[in-house]
Amino acid sequence: MPFSTYLNEKRRDCEELVQALGRHFPYVSILGTDVRATVVRADKRTSAVQEGQGECGFVVKMNDGRAFFEYSLNDISGDKAALAERILAAVQTDPNLAQKMISPGPVRDDPLRQDFARETDFAAYSDQDMLSVCQEMVAELSQKDDRVLNAACILQPFTVSKIFVSRNRALTQHYGWANGHLIVTYNGDKLVQARRTEGSDRLKEIIDALRGGADQVIDLARHLTKATPIEPGIYDVITDPSITGLIAHEAFGHGVEMDQFVKDRAMAKHCMGQYVASPITNMHDGAAAAHSVASYFFDDDGVLAQDTQIIRDGILVSGLSDLTSAAQLNTAPTGNGRRDSFKRKAYARMTNTFFEPGKDKLEDMIASVQHGYMLFETNNGMEDPKNWQIQCTAEYGIEIVDGKLTDHYVSPVVMSGFVPDLLKSISMVSDQGKVIGSGMCGKGYKEWVRVSDGGPNLKVRVKLG
Amino acid sequence: MNTVKALLEKNREISAWRVSQTLRTSYELFFVHRSLETVRATDTADISVTVYVDHDGARGDSSFSVSPAMSESDIAEKIDAAVSRAKLVSNPPYTLPERDTLHAELPTNMKDADMKALGCRIAEAVFQADTVPGGSINACEIFLYRDTLRVLNSSGVDKTQVTHRVMIEAIPTFTDDHQSVELYEDYRFTVFDPEKITAEIADKMAAVRDRVSAQKPQTPMTVNVLLRPHEIENLLLEYAWALNYSAVYSHANPIKLGDDLQKDGDGDRISFTMKGIVAGSDRSALFDDDGLALTDTCLIQNGVVKNYFGSNRFGQYLNVEKPSGSLKCISLGAGSFSKQQLKAQPYLECASLSGLQVDLYNDYVGGEIRLAYYFDGEALRPVTGITMSGKLSDVMRHLRLSRETAVQGSYEGPSLLLMQGITVL
Repeated sequence: MPFSTYLNEKRRDCEELVQALGRHFPYVSILGTDVRATVVRADKRTSAVQEGQGECGFVVKMNDGRAFFEYSLNDISGDKAALAERILAAVQTDPNLAQKMISPGPVRDDPLRQDFARETDFAAYSDQDMLSVCQEMVAELSQKDDRVLNAACILQPFTVSKIFVSRNRALTQHYGWANGHLIVTYNGDKLVQARRTEGSDRLKEIIDALRGGADQVIDLARHLTKATPIEPGIYDVITDPSITGLIAHEAFGHGVEMDQFVKDRAMAKHCMGQYVASPITNMHDGAAAAHSVASYFFDDDGVLAQDTQIIRDGILVSGLSDLTSAAQLNTAPTGNGRRDSFKRKAYARMTNTFFEPGKDKLEDMIASVQHGYMLFETNNGMEDPKNWQIQCTAEYGIEIVDGKLTDHYVSPVVMSGFVPDLLKSISMVSDQGKVIGSGMCGKGYKEWVRVSDGGPNLKVRVKLG
Repeated sequence: MNTVKALLEKNREISAWRVSQTLRTSYELFFVHRSLETVRATDTADISVTVYVDHDGARGDSSFSVSPAMSESDIAEKIDAAVSRAKLVSNPPYTLPERDTLHAELPTNMKDADMKALGCRIAEAVFQADTVPGGSINACEIFLYRDTLRVLNSSGVDKTQVTHRVMIEAIPTFTDDHQSVELYEDYRFTVFDPEKITAEIADKMAAVRDRVSAQKPQTPMTVNVLLRPHEIENLLLEYAWALNYSAVYSHANPIKLGDDLQKDGDGDRISFTMKGIVAGSDRSALFDDDGLALTDTCLIQNGVVKNYFGSNRFGQYLNVEKPSGSLKCISLGAGSFSKQQLKAQPYLECASLSGLQVDLYNDYVGGEIRLAYYFDGEALRPVTGITMSGKLSDVMRHLRLSRETAVQGSYEGPSLLLMQGITVL
């Protein structure tokens, strides 16, 4: 599927509107979005084939040397002078507030004209093909065990087309991603749900992985029915890549979003160049740092994707910025300006966030634990960038006794504590890692964007409850 | 919307249809400390269309969105694609809500207010509370929305509701010689009352001042934990999820009709109702996305599950005579204890959590506590750096509720809920 025909037809409109508003503002940009999503779902009783959460519209961003102004709308066709007047009227401020605006540095608008595209294999799969896969998976899961009360299979491909036009830049990008999910509702000693999630820009890979994972998800369900609550305490813990990613994301990722620096909301602002983690810790973020769900070519401010090293050998070396926070901090933006949709503000946001692999073997890491847990699968997490408290919830854990994984599952497992304590407790890092592209991230409790996170297995010491 | 309706009516393969349109205008202010960083305005329309195609004794449906910028031929193409998709889907048949019309505005005093002037007055009310020495509001975002939701369907439903609502996100902060701490404030309302805004923010300013002096208490300990409305709402939302028609139909509900959730208990028996409207709540609504009139539904009465609730389609699948509609507000009956009685014994009152974790499958409740007030029987002091966990079924059996009530977010009910015997680490 090529770049959006609709947005392609709006290039001229974007340029004309930038020109019209440019008479009033030194900086003007327009982001146009056309995101198309499909959801194909089947369970034992129902099915669905429909559009998923997409978006189509424009957001205009302006700066007058002081504050930023934005206006979101569905269409930019028609008389540009009239539209510019409408926008100017809409973003006017009360005179009392006009006196209290920020004074940022210059807003970057370096010249660049480029079109970016990355192909997917989505066009090779019809709606019928995807629904058949889902229905076959449901049938297979249901037949494996008569205690399967329900089974669901979901495929969610989406494509992103975006156009960015400013006085000096004209960019387009087109790419896609897909997620696949298996969910089993299973009634053993108790009712449980077990899940498996896959992500790729190749539906073939997702479908193959889901097909290959049917036995594992049933096995997990069986174990979860026997899972017990964990005895609260401080334990040696081995993380799977999903939980490693959750730590990267919640423990440190949010804390280095530099719009929080501007607001004095992040302790990390005062820790640049300092040890914040164990010396064997290296962490990255960036749309260009990994190939996953957040691997765009340019961000929603028109800044090209980057690979930002956040922690090098345990030392905090960089944060993540959007255009607005970078202008206030007089730094170069890092390509992390992201919006929930064209209807929402751009903030400094994570993209693909992960720890680098280390040198340890997973089996040695498990063998080094006398009594502890290996934690699996992210459920949710919550950041606290100012005070560096974290809460990360894993779907389940497996007890480790005398260096061996047992058959004792615990669920759920809430991991909490003080971020530097956790990061400085990293004592082993496995030599292989994985970035998992199926997450959604909010800023506070809103502004949802798609993110990936992950990394290798980590050995940490942390409070579980 | 008229174009979409005409095209849907013209398509002979469609058995039924539904169109939902949300027109939204907003005015948004973003402050960094006390300085205005960004001013935003939006003027958008979201149109969602569902087509239903009856075939082979089943009903297929497919939904899609329409941009106001689309041409008639683009929309017709989308309708044809949705019809093809609906033909692939074979769900048990159900009917759409029948002929019903409504045009209503939910109660507000902001209807005629100029958004720019009102935004300024809200900002003034927020910063009015920024008077604590050592304290500051490091960030504040103010969102003013006017939403007009219209739902039409092929069975004669044509309903419109207009809502005016405001959301404030503020970050009260306190700094002393040793550290700087913050709390998160999310305040929503449909009736503008500047004094109430200032009081709400001032409460959080006082709390954040306490956080800077908060210490980790001696742990582990077992203690009674008091939850405030925001956390009570989160606890009840988990039960609401489990008692939704769709969860029940898909066998995902860990609790069911007739279950006594407080069997052999010695606490307050809970009575919990999902409602369409809670005065002042920004989640109040008269009808849902199907245009179905909302019917308040008691889910749990005296601790026993009495009803499920949810959408028209899944209600019909469960043979519910009159589905409740997708209710969003929560009402919990008042308890038998005064706040004073609940605080007579040692307790830990949670003022700020990372997020209450409730797991009905695994019988768990817990979470990381950012700020709480610990009363050890003699003195009250702020505490932090702790995590609580407990067995949900035990909590339910022995819980106590305050007689005093409060409204917050989508919740109305007791202002305190006491959970006995919680482990704190």
